[in-house]
Amino acid sequence: MKYECPICGYVYDESAEGAAWESLPDSWECPVCHAPKSVFKEVKEPEPAKKESAPKPETDTALPLTAAELSAICSNLARGCEKQYMDKERALFMQLAEHYSSLIPPADGDISQLAEAVKADADAAFDEAKRAALSDGDRGAQRALVWGERVNFVLQSLIERYGENAVELEKADIWVCSVCGFIFIGEVPPEICPVCKVPSFKFERGGKMQ
Amino acid sequence: MKEYAVRNIRLCTKDCLCLYVCPTGATDTEDSIIDREKCIGCGACARACPGGAISLVPARMPPQQPKTEGVTAAMRRLALNKVKEENLARTIYNKNGSPLMAAVARSCRLTAEDIYREAGYMLPQSANARALLKEIALSSDKYAAEIAKQLMSLLPLN
Ligand code: SF4
Ligand code: SF4
Repeated sequence: MKYECPICGYVYDESAEGAAWESLPDSWECPVCHAPKSVFKEVKEPEPAKKESAPKPETDTALPLTAAELSAICSNLARGCEKQYMDKERALFMQLAEHYSSLIPPADGDISQLAEAVKADADAAFDEAKRAALSDGDRGAQRALVWGERVNFVLQSLIERYGENAVELEKADIWVCSVCGFIFIGEVPPEICPVCKVPSFKFERGGKMQ
Repeated sequence: MKEYAVRNIRLCTKDCLCLYVCPTGATDTEDSIIDREKCIGCGACARACPGGAISLVPARMPPQQPKTEGVTAAMRRLALNKVKEENLARTIYNKNGSPLMAAVARSCRLTAEDIYREAGYMLPQSANARALLKEIALSSDKYAAEIAKQLMSLLPLN
């Protein structure tokens, strides 16, 4: 369950913290604004009604693109709306992205397939796209490819190093740069993302499915 | 060109000068988002803001940069790889809860999004995005079609 501070909006999430609300002493206070525990309100989770009202189409997405592709295109367009402060449109694109996500069938494969796929991108797919971008003078595409390739390289080395179980990482802090996807393992995120150079507040806590 | 003001809440230092200078009261709102209906795009708030928190955005965006077929095709192949990797990482996460796999899935999604941005889906108002929404709206997936229709009525085509 989750409990929200009515003063500053900080949310205590039992499952994320790993400690039950009841187990916190009465002297516990809001880590952000120091409001006392007694003023916190339980957060009523919204009914997942949306999910139920989303019937599966007969064939996957009923479109030439796969559900996974559509989901990523839509979540990207949601960002495009967010940047322009168009909140309603952002929410609708996210609804589409989540809907398509829910239609993606589970992947067939394990960590070795994932390692292979990431390596194949490093060995060929990025180069191929870079050649196309270079020959057509597309600097925007080159920018995305420079970032993407570096991030892909980080994935490759992390998967090689920790593998599927990554037990050592159970208790570690994992950070993901919300702009380029760079993964950083450590207590505090870097001041500036080494790949895309955004400041540390652009890093999100990783390690859990959103 | 018609413009309107937007405020970056992270940069805003609450000095309130924008409240004093705005001729329509558009900057004074309970959720800190400048009221787009009221804003006439005069730019007084942006000039007065000591925090550099306000920008003026054109009401109609210029067309997206054109993309060649070669770049689009190569970028989409790469993005498809990335969403497949995302799904693999997510599937593994669902089996064993490995925190690294959750981060990898998120990372792959972010890379895929960025690649789509450079493969013709930069702007939600673009002709490409509109064409996709149209296809979704006409598809047999009724739930998605409904949302796509709403988006088409909200988003101006540039
Ligand atoms: S003038 Fe700028 S810093 Fe001051 S309240 Fe307005 S947006 Fe915020
Ligand atoms: S641009 Fe002018 S009308 Fe719009 S919010 Fe700023 S001061 Fe107000």
